[in-house]
Amino acid sequence: MAGCGRSNALSDAMSSFHLSLLLSGPYQAMLFAGLRLSLTLLTVAFVVALPLGVLIALARLSPFVFVRGIAIVFIESQRNVPLLAHLLFWYFGAPELLPDAAKQWLYAHDVETIAAVVAITLYYAAFMSEDVRSGVRAVPSVQFEAARALGLPWFSAMRRVVLPQALRVTVPPLLSQTLNLWKDTSIATVIGTAELMYQAAKVESATFRSIEAFTFATVSYLTVSLLITALASGYSHRYPARAL
Amino acid sequence: MRISQLLKILVAGVIAVGAVAAQADQLADIKAKGEIVFGTLGTDEPNSFIDPQTRDYVGYEIDIAKAVAKKIGVKPVFKQLAVAARIPELQQGHVDVLAASLTHNKERESQIDFALTDFITGSKVLVVKSSGVHSIADLAGKRVLTVKGGTQVPNLLRVVPTAQVITFETTQQAFQALQQGKGVAYVNDESSLYDDVHKLGPKASDYEILPQNLNVEPLAFGIRKGEPALKAVIDGELRELEASGEANRLYDKWYGKDSKLKFGPRTFKFDTDKIEDDKVTG
Repeated sequence: MAGCGRSNALSDAMSSFHLSLLLSGPYQAMLFAGLRLSLTLLTVAFVVALPLGVLIALARLSPFVFVRGIAIVFIESQRNVPLLAHLLFWYFGAPELLPDAAKQWLYAHDVETIAAVVAITLYYAAFMSEDVRSGVRAVPSVQFEAARALGLPWFSAMRRVVLPQALRVTVPPLLSQTLNLWKDTSIATVIGTAELMYQAAKVESATFRSIEAFTFATVSYLTVSLLITALASGYSHRYPARAL
Repeated sequence: MRISQLLKILVAGVIAVGAVAAQADQLADIKAKGEIVFGTLGTDEPNSFIDPQTRDYVGYEIDIAKAVAKKIGVKPVFKQLAVAARIPELQQGHVDVLAASLTHNKERESQIDFALTDFITGSKVLVVKSSGVHSIADLAGKRVLTVKGGTQVPNLLRVVPTAQVITFETTQQAFQALQQGKGVAYVNDESSLYDDVHKLGPKASDYEILPQNLNVEPLAFGIRKGEPALKAVIDGELRELEASGEANRLYDKWYGKDSKLKFGPRTFKFDTDKIEDDKVTG
């Protein structure tokens, strides 16, 4: 009897799962639009944050105190404040400081997406720069010294000798950071960015089909995360960290 | 065998008692008791809430309830109910009438009866005057701000499917975004909107609340099914309040010009217990 009841409950749950919601129609379109915007946030933020992170790491290692100071202030101000607060600042706070014309232009456009990209990119650039810096520190200092002794200027020695070795060591922590970046694009929902979680919540309030909407979101986050992991491990395999 | 027979007798007994109870006229019972018990929320200003000085129930629905009790010639007794407990408490006979900010909708009609609609509320739209939006239809393609998860988004999209809706975690954030110019309009329920505009102070003149409702929520007293005598006396009193102008006075006192909410003029009358499904009204 008990077993029978359980299987009934299970079949009820299964029969009340409306897969058709996800296979076609306006709600599927909403969810896919959300997924597309989430992937855009991920791509733009990653493509800008990684080089920016490398630059900030170099600034943090710079021989000039002033440049180092700026890098330290940037990193600490970014990574010691929650991303949620950064998002609210870039959406509600920062644009208000712009001159009126710029503000009008921005508000006429997709200010939700722009603010989300800026906040997420800067936040993850700070974390990535610290990963890159730890990678640079893992390269024995004699490498840098030898490059300098061969007559390479500071920046070239970094770019041609130290960084290529450092980046290979940095792949595993950068992978974690990229996974965090991907998942944290969902926080942009608080400023009305129409990404995946936002659209899932919208489908939920329109259809009361929470399970379907959030199953779609969960499966999407998981799939993309696993793809990122596979890409990173492929990269590590192709370009292994050299024995130092 | 014996147990099942006993069960049968018990069930028959329960049905018989139930039938007797259902046959008894509730209005006669109320008169015999000398009191009528209203189930109320007591926490929903201005419909029903507790006056901090006197510790008595006061409010728009409380005043109407007192008028009904006076009409029947009995003492009004108020019993505080939780929102979800309202209909069960009425059905189980713990209260005689619900005066509890109760929305009259089709789903509930199968469970209880409703007196004449005594208040109409709904979602409305606050717009920036300079935006050139003067009616709900003008919102097509425009950026409209509101809160997540409520009925606002489905209600708005049903009326203006092409509006570009941006939603936030709280109504305050959506309202903040409107003030910063991130959209031309902000959707919320009527009483919250009046409250928000009130908080703007002198800047309130830059905004206006569109007169149309996005959806309509009629509020009415709830009565147990199959009590025509009680319903007739309540509806009769509501009609009398309407005819004497007392209904208007109560509206002004709790919602309108004499209240702190300062709603616009009254746009409904105590004249029907019929509801229409989700229609945009003027």
